[in-house]
Amino acid sequence: MSADNKASPSLEEISSVLAKMIADKMEIDLATITPSSNLTELGLDSLDTFDIIFNAEDHFKIKVPNDQVNIETLQDVTALVHKLILSQQK
Amino acid sequence: MATQKPYSRVVVTGMGVVSPIGNGLAELSQQLFAGVSGIKKIDAPFAEQLSCKLAAQANFDPAAHFSKHTYSMLDRTSQMALHTSIEAVKHAGLSVNETLQPRMGVYLGTGMGGASSVEEGYVRLFKDGASRLKPFTVLMSMNNAAASAIALEFQTTGPNQTFSTACSSSAVAIGEAARAIRHGYADVMLAGGAEALLTFGTIKAWEALRTLADEDQADVSRSCKPFSADRSGLVLGEGAAMLVLESLEHAQARGATIYAELAGYGSANDSGHITQPSVKGQAATMQAALFDADLPPQAIDYINAHGTGTVMNDATETAAIKQVFGGHAYNLSISSSKGAHGHLMGAAGALEAVIALLALNSNTLPPTINLAQPDPACDLDYVPNSAKTLPSLDCVMSNSFAFGGTGAALIFKKYALKN
Repeated sequence: MSADNKASPSLEEISSVLAKMIADKMEIDLATITPSSNLTELGLDSLDTFDIIFNAEDHFKIKVPNDQVNIETLQDVTALVHKLILSQQK
Repeated sequence: MATQKPYSRVVVTGMGVVSPIGNGLAELSQQLFAGVSGIKKIDAPFAEQLSCKLAAQANFDPAAHFSKHTYSMLDRTSQMALHTSIEAVKHAGLSVNETLQPRMGVYLGTGMGGASSVEEGYVRLFKDGASRLKPFTVLMSMNNAAASAIALEFQTTGPNQTFSTACSSSAVAIGEAARAIRHGYADVMLAGGAEALLTFGTIKAWEALRTLADEDQADVSRSCKPFSADRSGLVLGEGAAMLVLESLEHAQARGATIYAELAGYGSANDSGHITQPSVKGQAATMQAALFDADLPPQAIDYINAHGTGTVMNDATETAAIKQVFGGHAYNLSISSSKGAHGHLMGAAGALEAVIALLALNSNTLPPTINLAQPDPACDLDYVPNSAKTLPSLDCVMSNSFAFGGTGAALIFKKYALKN
C-alpha cells in the first residue's frame, strides 16, 4: 500500500480524523466529541456508524472485516482502525 | 376498529409541490397561468455528451430544507418527496398526532425511484473500479425509499405503499389512496409522487427510445409542443407533488379547508403495445373514472390531458376523449401543461392533479403552450397559448397514461354539501 515512507498515524491522529468525520456527518460541534464519547449518544445509529467506518476505510486505506462488533465509543473505532492499519499496511 | 364502516367521501385538504415551473403553490400557479416554460438546455456536467440536451429541471436545494445528516441519506427523489409532504401537511393545517398516526398512510408513485443513487453506484463500481459501494446505496436506491422517509418523518403507521406504473405511477397512487380512505383503511393519506431521473444513463436510455423532443432552434424553451402539428416528442422533467387526502368526516371534524372532492378514479390497461398508446385503453381509463364518480361525461368541464407532445399520444388521447365524451368532447376544454413543465414521469400525475386543482380553485384553465400549428388529428379546444377563465368550472379530469399501458384518470369536483 502507501505507507512505505511514513510512519503509521498515531492513535491521537486517527482519533482526530474520525472525530472530524463524525462532526461533519452529524453536524455537531467538534469540541463536544471526546475519545470516550458514546456514538449513540452523539446521535449515530448503526447505519451512521457503517458510514463512518466506510469513510475511514477510504481515508486510512484499510479494509474493515464484516464481523467487527462492540463499537460503542470513538475510542473503540480508533483502536480498531489503529489495529487494522498496523496489520494491513505492508 | 369499527367493523362496519360506511364508504367515505374523499376530499383534498393540502398540497405541496416542487416543479420545473416553481416550488410551492403560489409560484407554480403564477408561472402556470402565465404560460412560462421551465424547459431549458440541461445544466449538467455531461450535457455535451447528450444528443438531446433538453430538460425541465427543478430548482431544489436539499440543504435549504434539511440537515446534512437527513439529506445525505436520501436520493434526490426522496428529498423532494419528503419536502413536498411536509409542505402539504402544513398547507392542510394538519396536526399529525398520536391519534392520527395509526389512521394515516402514504401512497407514493415513482417510475425509477433512486435513479441517481443507482447510477452513482454503477459509476463507482464499473468506471472508477471501486471494490465496494457506499453503505446507503440500497436504502437510497430502492423505489419505496421516498414513501418510507415520509412515514418516518410523520411516524405514520397506516398503509405505506409505492406504485410504479411508469408515467401514471403517481396518479395511481392518488387514486388508490382515495380508495384506502373510502374503504376505511385510513382517515388521512399523503399521496402523490416524485421523480428525479435526469442522470446521464437515464437520459441516454430515453434518447435511444426516440421519443424526446427536438430542440426548437429559435427558442429551446418552446421545444415541447403538445397537440401542435409540429410536435416532436417529450422533454424529461423532475419534481414532486404530494396531496393530503382526507375522509370528508375527518376534514369537517377539524374544520379543514376543502380544495376539492376527489370524486372518481379509474385505471385500465392498453394491452396493445409496450409503448404505443391505444384508444381502447385510454377510453377505458376515462370511462372507469366517470363510472367511479357516478357522473355523466357532460359533467366534466376540463381535462388536464396526459398530452406528452409525442405524435402518437396526443392524437390517440384526442380520439379516446372523442370516444368517451361524444359531442361533449367539442364543448369541454382540454390542456396539456407538459409544454411548460416537461414530463415528470412518475411524478407527472401528481403534479398535474395539483394543476387541475389550481384550475378548479381559480376558475382558470392553464394553457397548452407552444400550440402554433393545429393538427387535423387534434381538433378539440386545447386552451391554446393563453390561460382562459371559466367561471362555471365545477368538475375536472386529470389523465395519465404510461409505457407498459397502465392508465389512470382522476376526477376532482368542487366540494358541495350535497352530492
